[in-house]
Amino acid sequence: MSAVAEAIAEGRVGERLWLYPNYHCNLRCTYCLTESAPGVPRRLLEPETILERAHEARALGFTGVGITGGEPFLLDWLPELLAELAQILPVIVLSNATLFTGRRLAALEPLGGLPIHIQISLDSAEPDANDEMRGSGNFAEVVAAIPELLRRGIGVRVATTLEDPASHDPAELDRLCELHRSLGVGDEDHVVRPVIRRGRAAAGGMGVPAGADELDPELTITADGAFASPFGPTVRAGALDTDLLVTRTTSPLAVPAGALVRALGGRAAGHDARLGIR
Amino acid sequence: MAGVLVTPVEPAQAPLLARPHYREGGTSPLVSSLAHVPEALEVTMPFIATVLGPSAIAARTKELVILRTSARLECSYCVQTHSSVALDSGLSVAEVRALRGEESLEEAFPAEDERMLLGWVDAVAGTVDPVPAGAGVELREHFSEPEVVELTLLCAATVMLNRYCTALELPASPATLQRLAAEGLL
Repeated sequence: MSAVAEAIAEGRVGERLWLYPNYHCNLRCTYCLTESAPGVPRRLLEPETILERAHEARALGFTGVGITGGEPFLLDWLPELLAELAQILPVIVLSNATLFTGRRLAALEPLGGLPIHIQISLDSAEPDANDEMRGSGNFAEVVAAIPELLRRGIGVRVATTLEDPASHDPAELDRLCELHRSLGVGDEDHVVRPVIRRGRAAAGGMGVPAGADELDPELTITADGAFASPFGPTVRAGALDTDLLVTRTTSPLAVPAGALVRALGGRAAGHDARLGIR
Repeated sequence: MAGVLVTPVEPAQAPLLARPHYREGGTSPLVSSLAHVPEALEVTMPFIATVLGPSAIAARTKELVILRTSARLECSYCVQTHSSVALDSGLSVAEVRALRGEESLEEAFPAEDERMLLGWVDAVAGTVDPVPAGAGVELREHFSEPEVVELTLLCAATVMLNRYCTALELPASPATLQRLAAEGLL
């Protein structure tokens, strides 16, 4: 077994390979890690590149692929790519779910029944509270999209990002859980996580600090290089953070994967100080 | 700080593989520029440490090669940095000046082995022309085969660093400049 496969099997490196196909987004969320918005540099990964990395990931011992951004579904080729990725490894793709209407929703039809989950951000059961962070009209679009996806046999997870989950009003969280259940998403597919103090959240003084010691190592590939976490390739004031950069080399994948294992050194799995978010 | 072409990577932004090369209170312009490509930094710094650092060859001898090469390549960063290192390695101010081409090499280095070595450095690094056949024969009278290999690699590695530092306009550290000013070497 290679050092990379061993590290994955032992839980020292996350079992999922993350990829950023793009950085641009149709929203401008107040806590966005990557300062994503319409008009920002797209920093694209081509679909062929993503497929090559996924094949390499499987060979190295990774057991899943994660797609994040930016809003990945702004890329017209994404549904086709997801179908191909799902033939290689199970896929989770993070989305704001505001684009799942008309031709974009129709393009998702072939994904039904494949090992693909779309993780959708929904921060509150109250439309105003949700939309304050994520933009006007977001709540209505999300609650409309989730049943449409489920109806097509596409797996849905709901991700709730809170300023401070520990002190959040439990009653409000209960209402949110009632909502996602009513939409067809079970508790096992609902994750609650803190705002990470990087990117736009750091500029706004929001969230919890998150560096190498707080984040679980998960290899993440972007147009700018390989990072130690999907929370790593953050952008602040237009500048890419490099504190979680592993290598600029992303191909072959064994190069950044091996470098991540070396960078972790003898660190044991499940560091106490970690935030435990994946 | 690094030169105008490349912004130095500040300690708070140091990539994981670069962090061991950052010392408390700062790091060298060489490290803070290479940190942009951590996988290159990860192998380059140990290479530099192995080739330019302590080894079976005396530090004084190695600094003759490094400083003379840097002077021939006109690398401001390396000349200034290694003028200071040369002083720490036992060279006199007059010897440093001579290596930099500011005073007579013959007068500063009367020993035959050191003159031979400096002639070899000039042949390897002082011109873009091919090294003349047989130019190093006399060197073998004073240095063993492994020593010739190590000293030639040292010269060639210094050329690489000279071109890198000059191209990126890396500035010598304030502490180095202060030291050189005090020694009259600025």
